[in-house]
Amino acid sequence: MPLGNEMARSLTPTEHVTLNMGPQHPSTHGVLRLKLEMEGEVIVGCEPVIGYLHRGMEKIGESRTYPQFLPYTDRLDYLSSASNNVAYVQAVEKLLGLEVPDRAKYLRVVLLELNRIASHLVFVATFANDLAATTVFLYAIREREMIMDLFEMWAGARLTQSWVRIGGVAKDLPGGFAERAREFCRLLPKRLDEYDRLLTGNRIFRVRTEGVGILAPEMGVDYGCSGPTLRGSGVAFDVRRAEPYEVYERLDFEMVTHPTCDCMGRYRVRMEEMRQSVRIIEQCLAELPKGEVLAKVGRTVRPPAGEAYGRVESPRGEFGCFVVSDGGPQPIRVRLRAPSFFHLGVLPQMLQGWKIGDVVAILGSIDIVLGEVDR
Amino acid sequence: MLETLQREFGDALQAAEEVGRELRLETAASRLVELARFCKDKRFNYPADVTAVDTGTELRVVYRLISLETGQHIVISVSLPRSGGRLPTLCGVYRGAEWPEREVYDLFGVRFDGHPDLRRILLTDDWQGHPLLK
Repeated sequence: MPLGNEMARSLTPTEHVTLNMGPQHPSTHGVLRLKLEMEGEVIVGCEPVIGYLHRGMEKIGESRTYPQFLPYTDRLDYLSSASNNVAYVQAVEKLLGLEVPDRAKYLRVVLLELNRIASHLVFVATFANDLAATTVFLYAIREREMIMDLFEMWAGARLTQSWVRIGGVAKDLPGGFAERAREFCRLLPKRLDEYDRLLTGNRIFRVRTEGVGILAPEMGVDYGCSGPTLRGSGVAFDVRRAEPYEVYERLDFEMVTHPTCDCMGRYRVRMEEMRQSVRIIEQCLAELPKGEVLAKVGRTVRPPAGEAYGRVESPRGEFGCFVVSDGGPQPIRVRLRAPSFFHLGVLPQMLQGWKIGDVVAILGSIDIVLGEVDR
Repeated sequence: MLETLQREFGDALQAAEEVGRELRLETAASRLVELARFCKDKRFNYPADVTAVDTGTELRVVYRLISLETGQHIVISVSLPRSGGRLPTLCGVYRGAEWPEREVYDLFGVRFDGHPDLRRILLTDDWQGHPLLK
């Protein structure tokens, strides 16, 4: 931003300049405004201003029946809608004491992991693009397109699938899906190797990410961070391991951590996680048991009075859903705990002392989605 | 953990029960900070959430603290009147409480004493009222 720099230079060194980044800015990935306090090129303060995409989701939840609210959850973290769906139905199923058929659990994991890969591909694409590696953007979006096609084949929708139901999933896999998914699983690791050759070792990319935007592990935990943002600081916390849901306890995969606490560490965690997701999908497709995909749920869902917390490892971290029922057909409270919200809370600490050009890298590396931040 | 807490806090815990992985506690505003600090010292170091529930008769602020080592949850509830409720902030214990407390203030109107920056967060500054109240 040349204007900001020039303004900063023309003033006395002790005077701070406030610089607005956003709410419409290509690298804020949505409508986010960062009020940056600058001393020359160096950031001495940052205040994230959020709420531009606030749609009152939690309030809407109180005036819809339990099944009616499900499609709304797709619009939170819209890059990984299945994670939101599953966190929500998990909470409702806990309230109902409902057992989900085994086959549905496997299918949910397939859906969740495909969503994770799709979301991480968007991360790689936009992160690379923000750091001026446009080719990688095109490559990653090309691969993501294959997943979008799979979703379209399965659910009819590409982004907001709403394929999960209270008690299972809406329908079984269509014919030919498993083959195409396996083909994708064979292809992706090769493509990831290609990104590695193109991007991971690239001199410019390394200079802009290595040692940049340090998040100390203790600080990350204290701020409620989770997901790749926290695992990039070497903390071994993954909801899939800490509190296994669906069938994760039966699957063989590694929890990826990286000890460097910087932008590169968070990038490396996501790159490796995609490979692990491929392993998970392959296992699920191989072990898929026969049977029903949807448990018997009455026409009206009326869970007994009580409260339950569903939590999943979304591509961004711990996505939680806290549902309180008074025994009626509508919940009296739906709380949506979004990982990006907490990650934006720690961003000012991470930006402290870095230059204006690093904001794009650091913000990109925590991979926020404003849909779930603002709700 | 439940026994330790009961020994340490006795009557300050108005209710305490274990449901699955969750330890559900109810306490009064006056003992909240002390209780949270005790939990953090017992390795419940991850502040997963701060939120509130308006049941129509009372307002309940709910804190969820998780131990990354054992995977156990401590869920602390504090009951407040539905309007004009005040609580001490937990920002001094968990820095991650800052934003969710702002949100509870924004949407439910609970004031957190000692909070470093208690302003609206999701809604605009000129918004009237607190929309998640019934």
